[in-house]
Amino acid sequence: MLIDIQANATPEDSRTHVRFPFKLNEPACAIGIHFEYSPKRLDDDSRARELLEQSFEQYVLPERLALAKERTDRYLPLQNLITLSVDDPDGYRGACHRHDPVQSLWISEHDASPGLMKGKIAAGEWTITLSLHAIVTERCAYRLQVWAADEEERGERP
Amino acid sequence: MRWLACELHAHTLHSDGKMTLMELASAAAKLGFECVALTDHNTMSGLADKEAAERRTGIAILPGMEWTTFHGHMVTVGLAEYVDWREANTRNIHEGVSAVHARGGAAGLAHPFRIGSPACTGCYWEYEVDDWNDFDYIEAWSGTFAPIKTDNARAFSLWTDKLNEGYRLAATSGRDWHDAAETDEPISVTYLRLEDESRPIGEEAIEALRRGRVSVTIGPLVTLEAETAGARYGIGDVVPVGERAATVRIGIDFSVRQGLWTLDDPACRIRLSGNKGVWEESAIRETEGTQEFRMSVETEGLLWMRAELWGIVRGVTTMIAFTNAIYFD
Ligand SMILES: [Zn+2]
Ligand SMILES: [Zn+2]
Repeated sequence: MLIDIQANATPEDSRTHVRFPFKLNEPACAIGIHFEYSPKRLDDDSRARELLEQSFEQYVLPERLALAKERTDRYLPLQNLITLSVDDPDGYRGACHRHDPVQSLWISEHDASPGLMKGKIAAGEWTITLSLHAIVTERCAYRLQVWAADEEERGERP
Repeated sequence: MRWLACELHAHTLHSDGKMTLMELASAAAKLGFECVALTDHNTMSGLADKEAAERRTGIAILPGMEWTTFHGHMVTVGLAEYVDWREANTRNIHEGVSAVHARGGAAGLAHPFRIGSPACTGCYWEYEVDDWNDFDYIEAWSGTFAPIKTDNARAFSLWTDKLNEGYRLAATSGRDWHDAAETDEPISVTYLRLEDESRPIGEEAIEALRRGRVSVTIGPLVTLEAETAGARYGIGDVVPVGERAATVRIGIDFSVRQGLWTLDDPACRIRLSGNKGVWEESAIRETEGTQEFRMSVETEGLLWMRAELWGIVRGVTTMIAFTNAIYFD
């Protein structure tokens, strides 16, 4: 494994990036990435409503506030959102901006998961960036695993 | 010269959309579009299928990316090179815009008043803007049946306020299209005026966007021209000082995208407005072919003017179309 970390995020970590650099000593055929976080949803209904009310104060015009509050349900359930992007020694290799809390990703010379760019897997310093767009639960545990593969075909996590 | 029907904000499964680029382009062609901007969240990997999708569907695909940051979403189009969205903080968005421009792209505020985090992360525009001229456009109409939505009314007012303050920037529509499902709601089209048809469509489209040669509608295409003793000016052009009076010509082309939109009441009104308020409003009786209106305008104290089409759609009195501005020095 090039990276195998488990960590926790809290609401204070919202709107921050966490970077995980790793070194590839020699060119590889492919890189596999497994990323997951949990929980996805904020199940505490009153907390969710409280957070939404705070955001309405900030984003909704005073004269629309009452209506927005009436329609709070349309924004429920609130969700954590962490997205992942990849940099190789030469630059950006794409991002996977979607809501799935479990993502198994693959990047190789001739193939890549949607959002990532296929191309040579060069030796050097790579970085996985986790972008914590919103953490709404008290704690959100995440796990990131990265490994090099010597075959182009998508393999199982070692 | 011709007007190009564009969808300027769309996603594929390279981010959180549900369509492939091929499906997106085919769906756009069915809706009468000629051009789509691929603006996936924080990635341009979808462009790998650009040529194939263009060939199969005849749709011109503009490369782009929606900066999906913590403090706002910014649509960038016309650049094939990536600019790093992760460096953005509330104080430095102009650096990002400059980098987009340096690579030949245009940058606009996406749905600036959509509710933000945590309901929709980063969706509300919270970046400090020092110079509005630095931006190419504001996405004034987001989503379907855009003109009746409150968030869009705020975005439209923001645009009008900036024009009144003397800034020159365009206003567009963008569906923020994620889903392959069909909708009954009216769909907005951003028409871009291509001046030089011998140049590649993509380049001309971005030029049009940057220069504000733009007209937005959920139905007929509205055009605007000003003629002075010296010359003729189109949408996005600047009338120089010294031209005291202009003859304004508004065209309403009801023949565009035939069968793909309806007005439930043919009684529309056309309005000429600007920084000095609304000048003139005329009722439209015929809703076939191209209807033309002419009026004379004194240009004293005038910063900008635009045409707006109003009427009843789905039982609601609403703006149906607006042109971008003709400016006055
Ligand atoms: Zn957005
Ligand atoms: Zn979008």
